[in-house]
Amino acid sequence: MDKAVELNSVDTTYEGEKIPCLKGISLQIKKGEFIAVIGPNGAGKTTLLETINGLLESNKGEVKVLGKALRGDGNDIRKYVGYVPQDYSIDELTPFLVSDVVLMGRYGKIGLLKPITKKDREVAKNMMEYMGIDGISKRPIGKLSGGQAQKVMIARALAKEPEIILMDEPFSNLDFEARREVSDKLIHFHKNRGMTFVIVIHDIASIPKACNRVIVMDNGRIVADGNKEDILKPELLEMGYKGIVC
Amino acid sequence: MLEIFSTKIILFAIIGAILTGYTCSLMGTFVVRMNLSSLGFAMSHAAFAGAALGIFLRKDPLIFALLFSTFVSLALGPLADKAKLKTDVVIGVIFSLSMALGLLFLNLSPDTAMSSTALRILWGSVLGMTTADIIYLLIITVIAILFVIMFFKEINSILFDRKLARASGINDKPFYYLILFLTSLTVAFSLKLVGGLLVFALMINPTSSVYQFSYDMKKIILFSPIVGVISCLLGMLMSFSLDLPTGSSIAIVCSIIFGISVLISPKRRKG
Ligand SMILES: Nc1ncnc2c1ncn2[C@@H]1O[C@H](COP(=O)(O)OP(=O)(O)OP(=O)(O)O)[C@@H](O)[C@H]1O
Ligand SMILES: [Mg+2]
Repeated sequence: MDKAVELNSVDTTYEGEKIPCLKGISLQIKKGEFIAVIGPNGAGKTTLLETINGLLESNKGEVKVLGKALRGDGNDIRKYVGYVPQDYSIDELTPFLVSDVVLMGRYGKIGLLKPITKKDREVAKNMMEYMGIDGISKRPIGKLSGGQAQKVMIARALAKEPEIILMDEPFSNLDFEARREVSDKLIHFHKNRGMTFVIVIHDIASIPKACNRVIVMDNGRIVADGNKEDILKPELLEMGYKGIVC
Repeated sequence: MLEIFSTKIILFAIIGAILTGYTCSLMGTFVVRMNLSSLGFAMSHAAFAGAALGIFLRKDPLIFALLFSTFVSLALGPLADKAKLKTDVVIGVIFSLSMALGLLFLNLSPDTAMSSTALRILWGSVLGMTTADIIYLLIITVIAILFVIMFFKEINSILFDRKLARASGINDKPFYYLILFLTSLTVAFSLKLVGGLLVFALMINPTSSVYQFSYDMKKIILFSPIVGVISCLLGMLMSFSLDLPTGSSIAIVCSIIFGISVLISPKRRKG
């Protein structure tokens, strides 16, 4: 059995804070899983994603991604892990075009001193077409609507052709129609390329159909983890998962 | 007026202006985009203080300018990076300390004070560019250009957003420090031509002018140095023909270019 992500009793504490934000998280994610992470504001969802891709350094326990222990700055691992952050502050005057922002998603993977090839440009172009943003590819990134910008960030993460993709509320700015569309596209990637997905999502109704597992977080801990059908039972949701610890 | 200078001096002045304008404005594109303006400001004044110390000690001012500006970039870099401290305050302190020390050192060297050497590091001068100065400038220009070409992917990603660059697997820290380090070298090597007080204008104004016309970072990186070179050459011409300090002339020219750019900027026009 191939593991994509493995966390063993991991604590993550933000710099300057005394109390860890993630407390003793243990979690195993198999390759090819499609996981939704839910939970109230401040539960630690974003912190969990950034602990997995090494943007935040855990201070206890062990984080393994694609079989390798995350150590040091974790840049090597991030070449295989796509990330769509929850918030990215893009100023209106930011001097970058949409097509460049998407292509840049591949830069880390291409590697130091290696040239950008025709294939790199093609993949980026395909992703833009796929996400329906090819029409705005020469627009400045700061001049897009929230939803358009979100699609650009998703295209950027997909352009890397990662093995694992972490998305932090990728639908928050999309209308319902677009949510379904993008969601279908993600399912396509999951099915055809075997990408592993971890998606933080607030709107339970827009959890993609391909999702097989739901993790519920609260107060820095995982309070429930299981099949979508089991976890999303109305009575459990209503109780807010209080007191349930798996 | 021009006839009284030898061809060699004029030739060196022109080459010096081209190289200084190019490198300063190239590094300026990074400084502006990464919001490091106040850091660049502190660096240039530290370089001035260093050069003044060099004159006081009767040693090569360039070496001390280099030491001082590099020290500031390496000492303040981590602070600006982490934003743990209000960097504005620290930079304000460094800036006033540098100016105080610089003027003090100049004052303490009575026979050279307000002599041409001392004035030169304050205001810059097209005269007295030596072969060594030109070679140093050429080396730093080549290094800066190679740096941008070789690490274009990394630099471009970092200029867009450092956190997103890191998320895509780029090691941003070394590049951040390399940019700071190259900027401090550029500042120190430009001192002779533009002077410590105004080298900063040459970093900020040309790129800010080009910013008015483009949303494409690639073009900004390409054209800012060209505007820098034009500013330097025009400034030099003004300095030669009106007998004004070179640094002031260059700063005035690039401020005028910036002003015009803002006025005719398509970014500010409606429709
Ligand atoms: N940079 C930071 N420094 C200190 N504490 C932080 C920082 N970022 C987040 N926290 C704290 O960590 C906890 C978890 O934050 P996190 O962003 O992971 O929550 P979340 O589940 O993603 O919430 P949301 O649904 O609002 O996005 C919160 O209590 C928050 O206050
Ligand atoms: Mg969050």
